[in-house]
Amino acid sequence: MADSDNDSGGAHNAGKGSEMSPREQDRFLPIANVSRIMKKALPANAKISKDAKETVQECVSEFISFITGEASDKCQREKRKTINGDDLLWAMTTLGFEDYVEPLKGYLQRFREMEGEKTVAARDKDAPPPTNATNSAYESPSYAAAPGGIMMHQGHVYGSAGFHQVAGGAIKGGPVYPGPGSNAGRPR
Amino acid sequence: MVMADEEENGVSIQLEFPKGRVKKIMALDKDVKRVSSEALFLVSRSTELFLQFLAEKSAQVAIEKKRKTVNLEHIRVAVKRHQPTRDFLLDELPPPSQAAKPDKPTQPAGRPKLDPAPRGTRCIDQFFRKPEPENTAQAPGQPPENPAQAQSPENPDQDQAQSPVPVDES
Repeated sequence: MADSDNDSGGAHNAGKGSEMSPREQDRFLPIANVSRIMKKALPANAKISKDAKETVQECVSEFISFITGEASDKCQREKRKTINGDDLLWAMTTLGFEDYVEPLKGYLQRFREMEGEKTVAARDKDAPPPTNATNSAYESPSYAAAPGGIMMHQGHVYGSAGFHQVAGGAIKGGPVYPGPGSNAGRPR
Repeated sequence: MVMADEEENGVSIQLEFPKGRVKKIMALDKDVKRVSSEALFLVSRSTELFLQFLAEKSAQVAIEKKRKTVNLEHIRVAVKRHQPTRDFLLDELPPPSQAAKPDKPTQPAGRPKLDPAPRGTRCIDQFFRKPEPENTAQAPGQPPENPAQAQSPENPDQDQAQSPVPVDES
């Protein structure tokens, strides 16, 4: 019975040597999230080997860097400092992932509506129409001060002047409620 | 420790990945200075779409090869079949010497008996044995081999190893 386990652990590739690299684990998305989405896309009786999960974990991080790099190059050519949504949609089209653009536009529409609701709930004023293309910006995280726990990054889309650290009661700092749809945008 | 960052509870825009981690990966590129919230949202969502795509294609490859477990070779084949993905991923995958492992050990199941035989049933290998009085009286059993009869897949890694996940999204 040669039932040897398929542990090729520790055989990670010496990938791109990036300077100021954070912790090794921070370069990848959490493997639990990756596994969960993979299982949803697979047949019910399918299984995933451990090294396959780890390889896919690296693949999706590489995808993020790939898309981000292309969008960043476009911003630099146009002398802009902030990567916005259109840059990313353009990057995906350029890099061959145009099939993603239409679904993402739908998601973005709902995202903007959600932001509008939260703005109303937080500030109690009229929300501008969702066709507003203004994007606010916030700095990329500092490597020396990687916070633990829940990281709350709230960037308002509707013409806000800068980065808002606190947005009233709209940010939930409490426990995580698994996904009731009717609870969206309401502080509790 | 899984950082479940779910600001929006709407099902349609609920992000599967923690925002902070996505931002950190984007910021590995030193040229990336600022990222709008829309951009961060789009990257998270597109990464989910890419992950679903990769999982589905890998599952197709596994089915073609009559396997129930998706392994490295199936991912490699799936990446090769999609030109845009191949362009940026093929060099990142493990070398073929690791991925091209034999699918399963070639071990013929030549066990004399699979189940404990009912009383009075003659063993199939009794013909080749010397006539012994105790052999005819009681069938010899092989209990430690019977629990191993389950046809285990090539990689027996169970999904139960994902027990640290505290949140179960609907």
